[in-house]
Amino acid sequence: MYIIVVGGGRLGYYLTKGLLAEGHEVLLLEKESEVCETITEELGSVCFRGDGCETTTLNEVGTSRADMFIAVTGDDEDNMVSCQVAKHKFNVPTTIARLRNPDNEDLFKKLGINITISATNLILEAIEREVTTHPLTHILTMQDKGWEMVDIRILPESTSAGKLVRELALPAESKLTLVIPRENKPYVPTANSVLKEGDRVIALTTPQTEEALRAALSGA
Amino acid sequence: MDFKRILVPAGGGGADEGAMELACRLAKKDKGQIWAVYVITVKRALPIDAEIEPEIATAEKILDHIEEIAENQDCEIETDVLQAREAGPAIIDEAVEKQADVIIMGVSQKKRFGQFSIGNIVPYILKSAPCPVILLQQ
Amino acid sequence: MNILIMGCGRVGAQLASLLDADGHKITVLDNDSYSFRRLPSDFGGTALLGNGLQQDVLQKAGIESAEMFVATTQGDNRNIMACQVAKHIFNVPRVLCRIYDPLRQELFEGLGIEAISPTKIFAQLLRDKIIA
Repeated sequence: MYIIVVGGGRLGYYLTKGLLAEGHEVLLLEKESEVCETITEELGSVCFRGDGCETTTLNEVGTSRADMFIAVTGDDEDNMVSCQVAKHKFNVPTTIARLRNPDNEDLFKKLGINITISATNLILEAIEREVTTHPLTHILTMQDKGWEMVDIRILPESTSAGKLVRELALPAESKLTLVIPRENKPYVPTANSVLKEGDRVIALTTPQTEEALRAALSGA
Repeated sequence: MDFKRILVPAGGGGADEGAMELACRLAKKDKGQIWAVYVITVKRALPIDAEIEPEIATAEKILDHIEEIAENQDCEIETDVLQAREAGPAIIDEAVEKQADVIIMGVSQKKRFGQFSIGNIVPYILKSAPCPVILLQQ
Repeated sequence: MNILIMGCGRVGAQLASLLDADGHKITVLDNDSYSFRRLPSDFGGTALLGNGLQQDVLQKAGIESAEMFVATTQGDNRNIMACQVAKHIFNVPRVLCRIYDPLRQELFEGLGIEAISPTKIFAQLLRDKIIA
């Protein structure tokens, strides 16, 4: 694949190095000539000095034949603009932007940027997974389909404990896919399965109905 | 100092002739070998292995001319066309691969923005070469 | 009209005072309070300190009731992003963006952002003066 990376900071540098090691053709765009020189010295002729938002620069580096465009500068606005230029002017199939401010995620999605990476959100998700008292953990987000997979714990105080699945007020847009009991083997729940305290329920839901699902399963 | 393995990067300008003649004289003295290379710099808009016909034709013409100069000096040389994103690193890689004892290059005086300029290839080679470098300006 | 202006530089401040004098309800946003010195002493609108790329700051500046959003900071990309937030997140009926880079201006015009390139306009103006 031909991959263009914008921003030669630490993230851009290590990303370029990793992608090169995987055998991809990579071009790193960096504004500062000194940074460019250091990278060229270390990684070879992979760095081009220029502004990743400028059409002329992107033209010069052959953006129209790029398979992927990754903007990882430290500024959300620069990442957003360069991804949009890549997408709309050069028809790059996949654009990825780094986000500093998680609030911008919605906007980036609306503007057609395929994937957004926010360190803030990644750390928050890691905390969610680590802190087991939290009843709901996000396992997977299928951004294009609007689905997400969550892991919900049945707590001692949850009203769902001891009830049949069909007795629960589950939102229509959610599907219970798997129950992992504390001791027994995991099973696929049916309408007549009984949930117990300590069970973990793996469910498919949408961001809108996630809270209703959590309340139905682990709410007191 | 023995110069048995000589690399001559050709630029296509008039300065190539002097560099080649000098290379031949050194090679004859030390019974050395000469490699002449021409680097086609491929723009990022194209894949690195793109076959750019006019560029390849130019490269072959330049190397044919270099071979003629060598023949006039009774020297046999090997020639090669390289494709790279930048000429400097490509020449250095070639020097390493051929284990060159010396790089001999012709440089022609150029002006850029009204100022004397040597371009960016020569400084890169001087900075990174694994062997001695001889520059010949005519 | 209820107008929110982001960036109180020379252009932003001038625009704010002109529109204020015309009787519009103006809010000017800038992330440097020193910029507000450019507003005339009789400015009747609101000057607010904050980063216009943050959605909560825009809400505080009343973007939800704004009929028009204008971005006049020094950064092309800041202006573009702020305008896209105003248009796509807060559904402001009309957004106007300053983009120095003529190529970027053309592209984002195509993506539905009303944009003006001072570079293009000023070069044309100079040429017209010269050949007149």
